[in-house]
Amino acid sequence: MLSVRQLSIDIEGKPIVRNSSFSVPLGKITSIIGESGSGKSMTVSALLGILPPGAKATGQALFYDKNLLTVSDKEMMEIRRTHLFTIFQDAANSFNPSVKMRHQLFEFSGRKSGDTNEEFRLKMEGILDDLGLAPEIMEQYPFELSGGMLQRCMIACALYMKPGLLIADEPTSALDMVLQKEFIGLLKRLNEQHGTTILLITHDLDIVAEVAHDMVVMRHGEVIETGSVTEVFDCPKHPYTKLLLDSRF
Amino acid sequence: MTVKWIGKRMMMGIIVLFIVSFLSFFIMHAAPGDPAAAFYGGNAQTLNAAEKERISRVFSLDRPVIAQYGTWLAETMKGNLGVSYKEGRPVSTILMERLPNTLLLFGVTLFFIIIGSIWLGTTAGMKAGSLWDKGLSTASIVTSSIPAFWLGILFISFFAVKLGFLPSSGTGDIGGEGGFTDKLRYLLMPATVIVLTHVGIYARFLQESIKAESRNYYVTVARANGVAEQVIRKGILRNASIPYLNYIGMTIPSFVGGSIIVESLFSWSGLGQLTVKAVVTKDFPLLMGGILLTGLIVVLSLFVIDLITYSLNPRLRKGDVR
Repeated sequence: MLSVRQLSIDIEGKPIVRNSSFSVPLGKITSIIGESGSGKSMTVSALLGILPPGAKATGQALFYDKNLLTVSDKEMMEIRRTHLFTIFQDAANSFNPSVKMRHQLFEFSGRKSGDTNEEFRLKMEGILDDLGLAPEIMEQYPFELSGGMLQRCMIACALYMKPGLLIADEPTSALDMVLQKEFIGLLKRLNEQHGTTILLITHDLDIVAEVAHDMVVMRHGEVIETGSVTEVFDCPKHPYTKLLLDSRF
Repeated sequence: MTVKWIGKRMMMGIIVLFIVSFLSFFIMHAAPGDPAAAFYGGNAQTLNAAEKERISRVFSLDRPVIAQYGTWLAETMKGNLGVSYKEGRPVSTILMERLPNTLLLFGVTLFFIIIGSIWLGTTAGMKAGSLWDKGLSTASIVTSSIPAFWLGILFISFFAVKLGFLPSSGTGDIGGEGGFTDKLRYLLMPATVIVLTHVGIYARFLQESIKAESRNYYVTVARANGVAEQVIRKGILRNASIPYLNYIGMTIPSFVGGSIIVESLFSWSGLGQLTVKAVVTKDFPLLMGGILLTGLIVVLSLFVIDLITYSLNPRLRKGDVR
């Protein structure tokens, strides 16, 4: 589904990510794991075409036969609009604070699939109810909701859109333990019920062990190990992966 | 909630006006010089002690300042602003003659400053790093560094003296029936001077505000998820306009202060020029009236701006401070 080859990212000449290759198979949950500063978030930014000014990505990232690193802005917009959905780390700041949730949720989901306001309302209220959110939150502002609720709103949009690929960049690191568990459960459900392919970025091995099928280990801007979760957990090849697994227990 | 908020704002406005009147009354009386002498103007040396005392008694200037203030305040509350020392006409009549001119100048300049700065600031702010962006940053420093009075003198010497197609001063042709177009000809130069010296800095503020807002997390999230660009821009503009409006509100007093100088320079017969004249002639009732009316204009403008901010910012409406 997504195949990244020889991805390198430079920021003003300074290498951030070097020659990284990995792939995300269709219908699976693939997790990129690594400590902070290992370049995993930068990799996501490069895939989404939202690198900060001064940063340059080279290599190849094939998604539906299109190289995400070289497509035109217009094509990228179209891909983001129709095939991708991304959940970011900081849910509390993921919404515009002065716009009602209903409008924002609509822009994130209904508008993109061309639904009318009424269609959107019915469908979204069903999804929200399913996620344990009252329909009243549609009339509220983001600052009136908690981080956990906002992250569930993001998931609601993902459920609405059923994207080809869902990218979740450290989606749980701002949530407490209970909410983390709940969120991981939702990801799992999305994958199992709707067959959504998920790329999950995290630094938490427990989460990887719980939901992911495949994993990619990154360190200092390089991919050092890839494979299925059972494989890597059973016999890690790279010393850093061993260290990572040892520190878990 | 909203009614309570408006009521609170109005109370604060009244308190501000009260403090302004109190301070200016005492500063006015503490200033050196004698109203009686000022009353005689150039002939002050012919004034003898008895005459001076008579004038002071007639105008109640021999009473303690606090008692004078009390009387002034009590009368003002009843709507009586007193009689001008110099002109002998009711202060309110004189003020009402001047008010339309000041409102015209204030309204026209503020309108063009806001329109101009929104256009320039948005164009520059939305294209960070572009020629527009860098150009405006420089141009705003240049234009806001030019003193309005100097630019005014330059304009007079060029458009009025050299080219001769714009009047150098005044508010209309003497005895002319020119009507509104005539007034516009007189308005053109002072208004242009004020707009040119202000528009840059307001545009710059909006530009920076938009750039700061565009760096926000939610903008990246929206863009990464393919939210339409015009929707994102609308959201940015809405949020960036709140600090911009606050900035306009904060600078309105100094803006009014600056237009007093321009009014005097172009002899634009507005409140500013009147107030300056009242200071020179120590015409206390007229001065107090002028200050109070200018203060009222400032307070009302701030109130309108607060009202707009209030409607734009849901956090204010919901009383949330996080």
